[in-house]
Order: sequence, then C-alpha cells, then structure tokens
Amino acid sequence: MKAITFLTRRRGGDTWHWTDVVTFAWLGFGLIIMFGPAIWLVMSSFKSPAQLAEFPPTILPYVSETVEVPVKGTMKELPLYTVTTEGEAPRELAEVRRVGIIANMVDPADPETVIKVNINDRTPVRRVGLALENYAKPLRDFNFGLYLWNSVFVTGVATIITLITNSMAAFALSKYDFRGRNAVLLLIVATLMIPISVNIVPLYSVVSSLGLLNSLWGVILPTVATPTGVFLLRQYMLTIPDELLEAARMDKASEWQIYWRIILPLTAPALAVLAIFSVVWRWNDFLWPLIVLSRKELFTLQVGLNTFAGELNVQWHFILAMTVATMIPVVLVFVFLQRYITAGIAGTGLK
Amino acid sequence: MGRIRLESLRKSYGQVEVLKDINLEIEEGELVVFVGPSGCGKSTLLRQISGLDRPTSGNIFINENDATNVSAADRGLAMVFQSYALYPHMTVRQNLAFGLQNAKMPKAEMDERISAAVEMLEIGPLLKRRPGQLSGGQRQRVAIGRAIVRDPTAFLLDEPLSNLDAELRVSMRAELSALHARLGATMIYVTHDQVEAMTLADRIVVLRAGKIEQVAPPITLFEKPVNKFVAGFIGAPNMNFLTLDDVQPVLGNVGVPAGATMTGIRPQHLSPAETGLDMTVTLVEALGTETVIHGVLGSGATILVTVPGHVKTSKGEHMTLNVDPAHLHFFDADELRVEAA
Repeated sequence: MKAITFLTRRRGGDTWHWTDVVTFAWLGFGLIIMFGPAIWLVMSSFKSPAQLAEFPPTILPYVSETVEVPVKGTMKELPLYTVTTEGEAPRELAEVRRVGIIANMVDPADPETVIKVNINDRTPVRRVGLALENYAKPLRDFNFGLYLWNSVFVTGVATIITLITNSMAAFALSKYDFRGRNAVLLLIVATLMIPISVNIVPLYSVVSSLGLLNSLWGVILPTVATPTGVFLLRQYMLTIPDELLEAARMDKASEWQIYWRIILPLTAPALAVLAIFSVVWRWNDFLWPLIVLSRKELFTLQVGLNTFAGELNVQWHFILAMTVATMIPVVLVFVFLQRYITAGIAGTGLK
Repeated sequence: MGRIRLESLRKSYGQVEVLKDINLEIEEGELVVFVGPSGCGKSTLLRQISGLDRPTSGNIFINENDATNVSAADRGLAMVFQSYALYPHMTVRQNLAFGLQNAKMPKAEMDERISAAVEMLEIGPLLKRRPGQLSGGQRQRVAIGRAIVRDPTAFLLDEPLSNLDAELRVSMRAELSALHARLGATMIYVTHDQVEAMTLADRIVVLRAGKIEQVAPPITLFEKPVNKFVAGFIGAPNMNFLTLDDVQPVLGNVGVPAGATMTGIRPQHLSPAETGLDMTVTLVEALGTETVIHGVLGSGATILVTVPGHVKTSKGEHMTLNVDPAHLHFFDADELRVEAA
C-alpha cells in the first residue's frame, strides 16, 4: 500500500501537473527500454522452438493443448485445433496427420471418423504455459554443473587476486611519495582507453608462450590488474588520513602491517564495490575465455552457452534458457548489493 | 631515561628552509613546550624528533645515542596527534594493544600494562567501544593511553588539546600536568596557546620562522624576554611597545641603558596615578576580574592597560598612568633586550 502511494505520488497533488506527465512518460519509456529486453528474454526462454520461429512473435509463452485419442487401438497424444468451416459452428478437433494442405482430423469424442480439413481453416488451441524442457534438457545433458564450477572458480579466484593486487597498487599510489607517482597513475588510467580487441593478439601470444592456453589460469591472470579498480581504491584511500599511518609507524607497525591491519579494513567499502564489479565482469566475460579455452571440460558458462550455436542451426530455445540461468547469480548480486554499488560509485566519484 | 639532544638540526623542503640550525638539550623528566606562531616550524621540529620525518642535516641524540637515522618505530618514542589518530575500525582496547602486539609483547605483560593505563586514565568503561562512539575528551584520553602503554623514552604531544572545547581544555591541561608529575617521563609538547605553554612547561622553547628565539622557564620568559618578539608573544594582553619619547614622563630618574631605542611595558604593570603618561580612552573591556582599557597617547601610539577589578571610565576620557621602573623592558635597534643600567 505504501509502495503504491509512493509510486503514484504526483507533484500536482490530485491533478496532473505537466511535469507529472513528462516524468511518468519518461520513466515509463526508460522502464520499457531497460526492462523490456530482460522480460522478453525470460519469457522467450519458456517458448518451444516452433513458437520462437513464429511471426509475429508473442510476449507470453504458449503451449499447444493436446488430447489423448485412441488411434488404431493405441492411445496417442494429438494436438487440438479449433476448426472453422463455412456454414458450421467452430469445433475442436485433434489432428492425426497432415498431408500437404489437408489435415486428417478426428473428433476426440468420435475417434473413428476421419475428417479432412484445409489447414487454413484451423487454428491451434493454446494456453499460456511453460516449455520447461528448455531448462530440463540442457541441465541434464549439457555439462551445466561443470561449466558452473569453472565459472565460479574463475570469478572467485580472479576477484580475490584483483582485490589484493589492486589494493596494493592503490596503497602505493595514494600513500607513498615517490618520483613518478603521478606518471605511473596516469599510465594506469590511460590503459582504460585501449580496447580489448587491440590487446587480444599480443595477450594471446604472451599467454601462449607461458603455456597457459587451455588453463583456467590463462583466463584469470590477464584480467586481474584493472585500472578501474586501482583508480577507485586509490581515490578512496586518499581520504584515509596520513596521521593514522604515522600513528601506526610510531606503534612499531611494519609497512605490511599498516597495509593489512590499517589500510585494508578502512578501505572495506571501496573493496566491496570493486568486488561486486569484478564478480560481474568476470562472470560475464566471453571473448577472452573463448580464445583461451578450447577443451570442452574447461569451458565457463558463457563459453559453454556458445556451443548451442552450431554452424548450421542455432538452438535458440536452449541458448535463451541457459542465458537466463547464467544471469541469475549476477542479478542476485545486484539485487542484494545494489546499495553498496550506488554508494560506492557516488563515494568514489567514478563514472 | 629520556634525554634528547638536537645538534644544528636543519630541515628544508626544496628551497624553503623550515628549520634553521636548531640546538637544544632536553633533560630527563622535563616537560618542554615548543611554542610559536603558526608556520614557525614547531610541528616540523617535533616530527624530526619523532622520526616520521628526516632532517636535511644535523643530528638527534636520544640518551646520547645518535638516532638521526633510526626509524620512528625504533626510537622508543610515543606520539599523541592533534587529530588523536585512533584506528577507527578497532575498539579502544585494540587501539591500546596494537603497538604492544607489534612489539611482540607476551600477553600477560600486555594485559598488565593496558589495565594500568586504563586505571590511570579512568577509561575502563570505554574499552569495548570504537573511537567513533567516544566524545572528544574520551578520545583524547585513549590517545594518551596508547602512548602510555608503550612506556616510551619520551612523549611527543602535537597540539593535543586544540580540538577540545575551552572548558575541557582547562581540565585536560590540569590532568596532563598531573600525569607528567606521576609518570616523571620526558615530554615534548607543541602548542600555539601560550597559556598552555606557561602552565605546563618546565621550560619553554619559543620558535619563530624556524629558529629558536629563547629557551627558558616560563617566569624567566615573562620577566626577561630576550627580544621584542618573545616579549610580545608571551603574556596576554600583549606587551605595549613604546618609543623612549612616549614614556619620557614615567622614566623619571631611571637610567636608560645605552643603545635602547624602545621600551616595553606589560599592560598589567601600568596603573592609574597622579602623574605619568596621559592617555585618551578609546575602548573599555570589563572582564569582571579585571578591566582592559585601550587608549592612545598624545603621540598617537596605542596602549593597553589592565587594571584589577572594575574601573569607572569610558571612551573619550583621559587617564594618567604610571609604571614601576623595575618593570620596564628596553630593546635596542635590533629588537634585542638591553638590561637597565
């Protein structure tokens, strides 16, 4: 009830101020633009292959109504159709077989009499329903568990290494005064301007000569040093007063202890933000794992999904269903941690 | 043990010379206050002693050992920062224990030291709280406690009271003084507040622009300032500086020392009299216990007078002031003190 009052609140009170109209229209437009594709993806993941190929497409997934009819002594599941022939009331008939443009149909109540119907005169009887085999079959046959584990391993390990290395770099760049500090920072931030497609060939030869092709470490290691992470953490660490470090130095703390026991705990909010970013980045990575991994048992989920797209046919229903499945962890991260993300982005003045 | 000796200490940041040839000896158990206007280098000097900063040249001796190149951690000193610098993510107890853990002290001894400090500072109920949950005065105590548990060679205090409100400052000042008496440890205290300096110090070091102007016990500083700067800096309200012509009426038969070009008279030493300096009152500040009267002399020089109790006078009235010649200070053309003949 509270939510409804909140959502329908208007500047004009009971009447509509023109800004209300603009606001609702703009927000509604934004909602459709941003949320529409996600809704369509989820809905489509429950559609059968035939329905996916249909034109015009529908938003909701449908399944055909079937009926059990004895045909030549055995019970068979037959699809139901509404048949409208001229001069007769519409009736529901089950289709036994189709020959060209003529369908042989029977009345479920009288399965012995075959009625021949032009296919243009019938429409399938459908109800809203879910094609759950889109999920069930790949989960059973496709190596979902293995790919999930690979993805979790890559994401988890890469995130931990990212946090440690980036926070060390940020500590040095924010708390130590050395010649060329700003130049180093500039260099790191400048790498943001280099798109991955430029990097990919040299990166491949490096990873290849290190013998890391077809290894999950080959996926993890090139991604752990992120300029965004270093910059984000450095900006946050600049807000930690130097006097704390000096107090720790007077307290006989080594530089490592200062980093581990003073700086890291105080940087926790920024680390949380970077952890969220890193999880999302590594989980969604596709191109780089696709290049490094060619053995099937090493695939991450995103690369695994690609195997549904063959050279000749693409199994859209499986791709859609598994895309939804792989999205779930990232969506959960956003749902539960979004306030840290917004707080973090606002707090570090990034993006 | 806690003797500290500074030998021709210099510190420059690029072209800017912040400390110029500092020589100073601090005896064991002494409370020395560094005082001076902002930017005089007093905090910089403290940082050189602490080891957080290294001097450009010169030497620092702690207990006669050259500590110039010894790291801050190994000098055995403890510092109380102006901002307290308590670790915000640790409880009060963890704050106190941090330095001892780093020194790898056995747990039993650690507990003993912490409970002794806690008892001395009466911070027992705060041990489980974090610095964010403490008031300014409580944080101050914890910061001092963190220094005490380390049992340091000397305490370095960098304007420790400047973040407290006026009332708390007075009571903490008294506590610090009592603490010093009790611990008997060497303390170096930096402040820009001359009242703190006067009340706490065994000896005061007055600094100006990176140079020591005078090192002396508070009363000596008040009675025999070596130059015009020290004379003006110590004592409130500030000393009146007048030309010899201005004070001619009160000089009487006092012999003006050779070379003197200026006299200094503290406002407290002037009193209304039958004959003397003729002043026109421009402002009267009644403080209750005393009255501060601002005025101008015939020559146009401004003058301040404080008179105990309440005085009935108002703007535009004339007053005649006299001074005991023993309280006259003389300065030469270089602003240095000249003793009366």
